[in-house]
Amino acid sequence: MFLTTVNSTLPKIVAVTLTLFITVFASATFAEEKEFAEQRVVLQISDSDPFKQTLVLNVANNLIKHYGPDQVALEIVAFGPGLRLLFKENSNDKRIQSLSASGVRFSACSNTITAMTKQLGSPLVLNEHAIKVSAGVVRILELEQKGYNLVKP
Amino acid sequence: MTMMMRMTKKKMTCLAAGAVMMGGVITTTNAANWLMLQGTEPAGSAPRAKIWGFIQTQYQKDYSDANANNQYVPPKLIGPGLTSQSQFNVNRARIGVRGTGFPLDPNVNYFLLAEFGKNAITEAASGAVHVTDASITLNHIKGARLRLGLFKYPGAEEALQAIHVFDYINFTNVTNQLLLERFQSSISVNDVSDVPPQTLPAQQSLNGFDRPVGAFRDVGLQVFDTFGINDWEHSYAIMYGNGNGLNDGDNDDNKDLYVYLSSERVFDGQGPRREGLKMFAWHQTGQRSFDGDGDGQVEEYDRDRSGVGVKYLQKPFRFTAEYMTGEGMIFNGPDKPTFGLVPPSAGNPNHPANGLNQEASGFTVEGGWYIPGTKWEIDARYDIYHRLEGNTGAYELEFKTLTLGTQYHFNKKARLTINYEIREAEAVKFGNEPPPPPNPNINLKDVDNRASIQVTHIF
Repeated sequence: MFLTTVNSTLPKIVAVTLTLFITVFASATFAEEKEFAEQRVVLQISDSDPFKQTLVLNVANNLIKHYGPDQVALEIVAFGPGLRLLFKENSNDKRIQSLSASGVRFSACSNTITAMTKQLGSPLVLNEHAIKVSAGVVRILELEQKGYNLVKP
Repeated sequence: MTMMMRMTKKKMTCLAAGAVMMGGVITTTNAANWLMLQGTEPAGSAPRAKIWGFIQTQYQKDYSDANANNQYVPPKLIGPGLTSQSQFNVNRARIGVRGTGFPLDPNVNYFLLAEFGKNAITEAASGAVHVTDASITLNHIKGARLRLGLFKYPGAEEALQAIHVFDYINFTNVTNQLLLERFQSSISVNDVSDVPPQTLPAQQSLNGFDRPVGAFRDVGLQVFDTFGINDWEHSYAIMYGNGNGLNDGDNDDNKDLYVYLSSERVFDGQGPRREGLKMFAWHQTGQRSFDGDGDGQVEEYDRDRSGVGVKYLQKPFRFTAEYMTGEGMIFNGPDKPTFGLVPPSAGNPNHPANGLNQEASGFTVEGGWYIPGTKWEIDARYDIYHRLEGNTGAYELEFKTLTLGTQYHFNKKARLTINYEIREAEAVKFGNEPPPPPNPNINLKDVDNRASIQVTHIF
């Protein structure tokens, strides 16, 4: 009886523990979710055009200015050629740092990182504020499911 | 809910549109000095190939009078042809491409630019297109970037700055004569001769050179970098080059050395119009091979140039001051490839009228006022150049010009420039009357004012 109870409860305990672990892990990697934010926006950058880098940062900045840092949950997801925005030596690093300080999150696509590392022949060094996600497009879908609006400047 | 989403999307669209406009205002050019602007690309955001260029088209009118024999000398005519006193011209039409060939690696970038306009670069080659810049920069070593190829050597602000943002139409006398190097066609004084002043239309070309001017460029390698400390930016550059300008290869084994230092307190902005207070000093040294005494043996003549300056820009005001000196290879006008100003000096390198071993100096001060709330800018510049001032200075020539100008900025990439130059030129040790030959004032006393208008469009 005891064993039966343990057998039926164990998967639940494991599931709860895993959920807690994932939640804690997620909060350790990404900046804290703004649960009471008025707006939730995910900005996509996947273009090689340098102007798009400026543009996506401008949009993020405008959203922060308009709603205030606490009222907008904002994440920039970079994949494909757009990942260059999150290179460590990108000339926009100061703007990224400033936006990060306002709570903006930056996601870097691991698939792109792998592909670019292969092309480059050496490890890719990313901005310290960039968080690796398994796939940029998957991250966008996940965020949309959480109520985020996708904007592609 | 649907309405709220609609409103949300509408707000997003507006914000995105605002960002587009803001993006149009913010330039993506590297926020740095000329060394960095011309030699590097913004890391992580440079395109594979950015096509860019500019066109400058102008009209100039010279009001100088002919000498007593109805003849003209080059300062009274419009270049580069020196055949008339008024002229429409497309003086610059440059197109180029720059970027980083492999965008994942910000450590390598390139810069290529060609001149299609009609000026002293292309005039000598009968108007042919001429490459003005072709360089590769390797950024692998922090503090010691390496630029290789053909590009502007580090030096005076007026020469080093990008010409498409130059606030005047013509160069100052000192930059034009002391720094803009002319390369004589032959290496012997025996093979070239003075071209006498011409009546118009000229029977003989007053432009005695058939090679492009140096255009403040050289082929070689440069080590350079910029270091930011708080609001200050300190830069250095050391270049080693052929000393043969835009010309192919090297015409001798002598190489030129260029050294440049600058410190700038950065106020605001980025790109070519960044606001700040910059102080700079530079020196260049080299030798030129020339048979200046006509004995059939080529001699080596030193060519040294040095300068210091300061530039302040914080809108609505701009101020620049530069002082520079030169020793050796002092240019004495396009009709004198012999470097001799008057007949007895040709073939005699130590004659006070021969520029081969002579000295010169000059300075320029200029300022601008960007009229607040308008697209207009008012400019004024004064420059003075003392040519052949060394030794006894017996043949010293003094060129003084006050340039009054205005600019109307149609937009950030297009502007109209209007200049009026009040000019004086004089051989200071000679009187005007009576003019015993060879008195340079025979031709210099009637050098008069010049008006010019130019439209620039950068793309």
